Amino acid sequence: MGIAEELSALRSKALAAVEMADSLDTLESVRIAYLGKKGSLTAVLRGLGALSAEERPVVGQLSNEVRATVEAALADKRRSLQATARASRIAAEVVDVTLPGRVRMPGKSHVIHQVVDEIVETFVGLGYQVAEGPEVELDYYNFTALNHPPDHPARALQDTFYVRDLSGERAVVEGESDVLLRTHTSPVQVHIMETQKPPIYVLAPGKVFRRDVADPSHLPQFTQIEGLVVDEGITFGDLKGTLEHFVKRMFGEDRRVRLRPHFFPFTEPSAEVDVSCGICGGEGCRSCGGEGWLEILGCGMVDPKVFGHVGIDPERYTGFAFGMGAERIAALKYGIPDLRLFIEGDTRFLHQF
Amino acid sequence: MRVSLKWLSELIDVDLNVAALCDRLDMTGTKVEAVHATGAALDGVVVGQVLVKEPHPEADKLSYCTVDVGTDEPCSIVCGASNFKAGDKIPVALIGATLPNGMTIKRVKLRGLVSVGMMCSPTELAVGGDASGLLILPGDAPVGVPFGSYYGLSDTIIELEVTPNRPDCLSMAGVAREIGAVTGRPFRTPASVPDEDGTPAADLVSVRIEDPALCLRYTARIIRGVKVGPSPEWLVQRITAAGARPINNVVDVTNYILYELGQPLHAFDLATVGMAEGKSAIIVRTAREGERLTTLDGQERVLATDTLVIADPDGPVALAGVMGGEATEVSEKTVDVLLESACFDTSTTSRTSRRLGLISEASLRFERGVDPELATRAADRAAQLLAEVSGGTVAPGIVDVYPAPPVPLVLRLRGDRLREIVGAQIADDEAATILSALGMGLVPAEDGFDVTVPTFRPDVEREIDLIEEVVRVWGMERVPSTFPGGRERVGALTIAQRRDLVVGRALRAAGLDEHIGYAFADPRDMERLGWELGPDEVPVELINPMSEEQAVMRWTLAAGLLRVVSHNQRRGVSDVHIYELGNVFVTAAGRKQPKERLMAGGVLTGAWQRPAWNESARPLDFFDGKGAVEVLFAELGLDKVTFRASEHPWLQSGRSADVIVRGDVVGWIGEVAPQVLDAYGATGPVTLFELGVKPLGKAGNVERGYAEIPRYPAVNLDIALVVEESVTAGQLMQAMASAGGKLLDDVRLFDVYRDPDDASAEQRRLPVGKKSLAFSLSYRSNERTLTDEDVRPVHEKLVVKVCRATGGEIRG
Ligand SMILES: [Zn+2]
Repeated sequence: MGIAEELSALRSKALAAVEMADSLDTLESVRIAYLGKKGSLTAVLRGLGALSAEERPVVGQLSNEVRATVEAALADKRRSLQATARASRIAAEVVDVTLPGRVRMPGKSHVIHQVVDEIVETFVGLGYQVAEGPEVELDYYNFTALNHPPDHPARALQDTFYVRDLSGERAVVEGESDVLLRTHTSPVQVHIMETQKPPIYVLAPGKVFRRDVADPSHLPQFTQIEGLVVDEGITFGDLKGTLEHFVKRMFGEDRRVRLRPHFFPFTEPSAEVDVSCGICGGEGCRSCGGEGWLEILGCGMVDPKVFGHVGIDPERYTGFAFGMGAERIAALKYGIPDLRLFIEGDTRFLHQF
Repeated sequence: MRVSLKWLSELIDVDLNVAALCDRLDMTGTKVEAVHATGAALDGVVVGQVLVKEPHPEADKLSYCTVDVGTDEPCSIVCGASNFKAGDKIPVALIGATLPNGMTIKRVKLRGLVSVGMMCSPTELAVGGDASGLLILPGDAPVGVPFGSYYGLSDTIIELEVTPNRPDCLSMAGVAREIGAVTGRPFRTPASVPDEDGTPAADLVSVRIEDPALCLRYTARIIRGVKVGPSPEWLVQRITAAGARPINNVVDVTNYILYELGQPLHAFDLATVGMAEGKSAIIVRTAREGERLTTLDGQERVLATDTLVIADPDGPVALAGVMGGEATEVSEKTVDVLLESACFDTSTTSRTSRRLGLISEASLRFERGVDPELATRAADRAAQLLAEVSGGTVAPGIVDVYPAPPVPLVLRLRGDRLREIVGAQIADDEAATILSALGMGLVPAEDGFDVTVPTFRPDVEREIDLIEEVVRVWGMERVPSTFPGGRERVGALTIAQRRDLVVGRALRAAGLDEHIGYAFADPRDMERLGWELGPDEVPVELINPMSEEQAVMRWTLAAGLLRVVSHNQRRGVSDVHIYELGNVFVTAAGRKQPKERLMAGGVLTGAWQRPAWNESARPLDFFDGKGAVEVLFAELGLDKVTFRASEHPWLQSGRSADVIVRGDVVGWIGEVAPQVLDAYGATGPVTLFELGVKPLGKAGNVERGYAEIPRYPAVNLDIALVVEESVTAGQLMQAMASAGGKLLDDVRLFDVYRDPDDASAEQRRLPVGKKSLAFSLSYRSNERTLTDEDVRPVHEKLVVKVCRATGGEIRG
């Protein structure tokens, strides 16, 4: 048999072997058997050197063709086998996509702080700064400077927590101590006006304390957010516009807002702010006690007597202040029936918001 | 303040329906808290007429009646009363009616005879009067009409929230005036001129005020020959509608005037008041040391020396403005009445009533302020009324001690100022109309008005108070909404505030939920935790805590966090990982206000999540807590933080550490000691930490700089070091860091190996008392790709140095 025939037979054999290969491993052994270092086609090619000068180009060309053909067949077969292998791997890797994912939940911000943060963000957007004050306050800041007369009932031991005063000073007003747990965030107003000149645009969130037994609608400790603006030319209309903007942002554009005249010792005129009930839309239902309105904050124009305590000229400057309870707002916003949930730390509650 | 609309209609003609009136009151500052219809409880009670009255065949005391109730068929009723006869008109409760005492009328059989209704006594209908028989109605009563409307019981009561600055609205007359002002309607002021006869009052009683600052005015009138007994029906209805209980005609008249005019009155039995110089002598003074008085409620009270009393020459007979004394009380034996109509100081009354826990309709009005000008008008009207209802005679004249009648206040209201503050174009004449309707006197001035404030409005003291009056009546809803126009303001958080936000955000990112707990603590937490405060520090004690468990302010977040763990575990929730950001408090001798420190505390127990199909629930331990704290430090930009083993009584020995930043201890972390878990009813392991936010913030740096991303690959080499148990991972890492030179980029501990305790000698892979720690070290240059040849000498040098420094050996 001449070398050409031999090559052609090898080609047929090789192509048949490639065709027969049923795995990438078998295919690889086929490649080695023909094209490896000791492969039969390689051996033939190695024998080319023994050929005559005339035969060599002819056989050389033929053998290159055979080699290329076999390599192409190998490549084709490899692709096909790879595709089959991939398909079967994919088939084997099918998952039940309804199985739960691997979850590590991030921690949750307390719903009260979510509410506070939202309010802070609204007012920072209106050009306010944020201020803090001590939780253990002096009577002067909590009451006197806020125009509470000495016998004001809120000062009574049954309403306000007093703290033992270790300074040896005698109580100026009444009782054993002038040191107390602040009953509202309003004392922050006084601290700010003592230390800062107008214009003042400030929001002060924080804990406050009142001697109420914890029940579904009361807590001895809760969170208030105080606002204070002092500037030239501040009007009651500015107060109204600001709070309307806030309430609509907090509760929704479709809610209505009303200011109802009220009385607070440190603002004049004063008002309470109601938002229309989200359930009945103002018609009156059980959740709003049939009124159609829900009271959410108190406000008013800073009383000139308060300015007097901090040395701001009430003829030059006017201002407004407002205060609201975060627990009440959160309870209304999320329909929470029992305020004690806010403070008990049941993680099933904390996770909900 | 309960306002009967029927009563109100005598004082003002309101042309609004109830809803519109309530709305108007709400929007002008007198909030309507509730509206109820009364008389409704008598649904099903009608006027009936007895047609036939026969004795009951089986029972002597009962009668069997046929009664016309306005229906086609008369009904049969068995009745036990005897004060009636056929033809009488009586109230009949039909089947299904519920009486005020809660009784529901049913069809019953009484000794064999069916009864389908009940004829009622005044008591059964709660209308006042004789309980012993049926209420016999006038002959012209229309049969079949509802009894409530026939008898005038139907009424609407509106309950008003009267703010503390408006004592004038604590009376029907005041409410009528207010409604007149806000609705633009005229109102009537009730007044009477008594028919007087006999000895002048001034010859019967003397009045002396010791301190005019405490008693602005005291008037006395005498009504002689009264017959104390039940009040007439109209009077009972009025005071019941106002919320009082009828007692007798004398007391009921004083209550009536209190509700009508707002003047608290007190009636003394004249015969029981001690005499001086031939007259009953009233002295208004403060109590003397040790004086006692038995008040109307039968309690003997020891009086403080700042208590204002009404006394006679023998001693106190009443607590001024708060409560009368038992000895001088009006009783059935009373013949002559001394009627007090006075004005006491607000703070004195408020102190006395609060101290003694006696809060009455009278004290409530005095502590808010009663118009001193009202005293005589109220006394006149009460005296006349009392004479009418009790058959007495009013003695001529009134004893009126009024040392210093107040001078009416005159305030300037500037029209421009009004408009500037409100931000609405309220015309001067609109303001004037409003103020006049509120009872103010107005005289035009160059820039507005001079306003004379009536004495019944003690709250109006300044121009701003007038502005308030104008805007609330003019209508807050009419004020245009605007925004402040100030130019110089920037809304932003401070760096410290942003840092506090980072603390929360980092701890949440680490998987902790936020909790807000009580700032209170139990003083026994000190013992439960085995806590010791710093030298000279003491907890902040509350003078009036709600309970023993909340008697001090917390000095650590730890106790509260442990309580949350136990709260959750008791409810079957075992996975708790929470943090709290809050103040803790301590004080010291000589300090007025305590120190408040903002702390970040956290507690972890259970697992991050419930076991899942592809993941088991790994129990949380010390290192999960430490990991959360490390996330926090990373977010705060804090490097150079060290954890140093330390002992704290509330933490388990050997599983606790102090957290040190730049040499200062800023907090602690550890697993809670078993006896502490027991004390809080919690199940462990529980990891707890607490860090001071201020020192962390000071050391940290929330602002970051850019560090170049590595451009060349690292060469990673692993080593396992065998060291004594006492050598810590921290010491090894410290040694590597200092030995590694500038090519050492990162050291990561990836394994800690110890032979099991029960390993046999053959199984042991390490010498006894040793452990093996395996590290992966990365070497990297910023200038080029390192080769083995670059790294090997550095690494070998590092190994030698670390082994020398720590007594370690390379594990084979
Ligand atoms: Zn509603």
